[in-house]
Amino acid sequence: MSNIAGKAYAMNVITPIRWYTAWLNKFYFWFALKVPSTLKGLMTLSLIHYARWVIIGRDQFPHLDPKQPKEKLKYSYMMFFSNFNGSWDQYVDSFTFAIPGGLDLFWKWNIRYPKSVPLTPFHNYIRYNQIETIHYYNAYPLAASNDVKSAKAVKDALIAFQKHDLDASDADFMKRYNALVRGLQHDLGDMHPTPIISMSAYQVQRRQRWHDGSLKKEIEAQALIDAGTSGDQHGR
Amino acid sequence: MAGNISGNAYALTILSPIKNAYTADEIAYADLIRDRLQGWNFEHNSPMAKVPNTYLCRFFVLDDVYTESQPTGGGLDTVRDLSPFVTDAMRRAAVPAEDHLQSRYLVFSCNFHGGPKGDLDAYLRGMWQAISDRIKEIWSYCYGFEQVNDADSFIAYMKKCQLTASLFFNGSNDEALAEQLKALYLKQEFAKFVIDNQGLDAAAIKVNMQAFMQRVAPNNLTAPTWSAGKYRL
Repeated sequence: MSNIAGKAYAMNVITPIRWYTAWLNKFYFWFALKVPSTLKGLMTLSLIHYARWVIIGRDQFPHLDPKQPKEKLKYSYMMFFSNFNGSWDQYVDSFTFAIPGGLDLFWKWNIRYPKSVPLTPFHNYIRYNQIETIHYYNAYPLAASNDVKSAKAVKDALIAFQKHDLDASDADFMKRYNALVRGLQHDLGDMHPTPIISMSAYQVQRRQRWHDGSLKKEIEAQALIDAGTSGDQHGR
Repeated sequence: MAGNISGNAYALTILSPIKNAYTADEIAYADLIRDRLQGWNFEHNSPMAKVPNTYLCRFFVLDDVYTESQPTGGGLDTVRDLSPFVTDAMRRAAVPAEDHLQSRYLVFSCNFHGGPKGDLDAYLRGMWQAISDRIKEIWSYCYGFEQVNDADSFIAYMKKCQLTASLFFNGSNDEALAEQLKALYLKQEFAKFVIDNQGLDAAAIKVNMQAFMQRVAPNNLTAPTWSAGKYRL
């Protein structure tokens, strides 16, 4: 299981909707696409890389082979996929605080949807309907969504800086350099790995430590610390 | 499939039905897929790192749909206690119905750079060319995949399994992945440069900046840059 890939978290939620009201959710999404200003609240959540809502009609699950049994569902389903930075709680809470009305529209009449406010029932609803990811890949585990956006500003500014004619004097250069740095002051910043950059990275490191013998030593050292207890090391 | 495109980013949603069958060792095909995907987590990097222009993607197995219910206790219970006209059938009908899938599904949800027209074919072709062996490792337990033997048949198969997004929100910059990775490299390097050169005189910074620009080559997307999936500095 790996809901985490570096700074990104993968959320999958599947919720039932009555098939005869699903058109309403589709209409709200269509309206949000046609009137982008309705997504303003969502845009303030700069911690999101990408998110999507997919409505599957009860007879629209892919059927590829005559041998495949046909679905006999009573409900249609809405799937929500999100890629965001930060913890689960931070994300769910920021959704509630930033776009409570929008959430209620998007999940309108989904079975047992408790509304986005208050928080605890909403948390329970998402937890109940969330599915764990088995394998999650992120092309830039070191970067948050804001890093990806600000990196573009840095690249564009550096390319523009380089295009400029040679400066007549050091003072002219300094003026331009200071303007460059001042212009990018909100976009610079070091990126570092998170403590567990991904479950795979953790396993890779653990295996490397096992190969070079250091894992065995660590376990032995821990066993000494734990002396007097049963010392179950399976979790290491 | 306009709903799948936002800017230059494409939202690919695939649900591939898994055969309801078992190996000779009585392991369900769905569990085999799960096990193999779990195995990908133990590799140095994901096989998807080799697929051009993949921003983020995930795999999981949808075993069944969920029915969130309560042990009734709704208003109809109270009415029924007081009135014989509310039947037990009426009371139960107000409770969410239990629903089950007939097949388990492999879910592949991917965000990639598809350009303004969302070139899905090019992406899937690139995926097949980069990791066809790994694709077979996972998808060969799904209905209909036996007809896949080249990039074209893979594209046709994936389109049969595709679902359209009702709403796709693109909260990132949606340049090609090579552009994004180069930009991240530049951001990291320039942040260091600014710190290292703070307080130096103009002549020194000017010389250092020229050397910096030569070293980082902002216009060269191939090198130096970050590799896809890089998780250590």
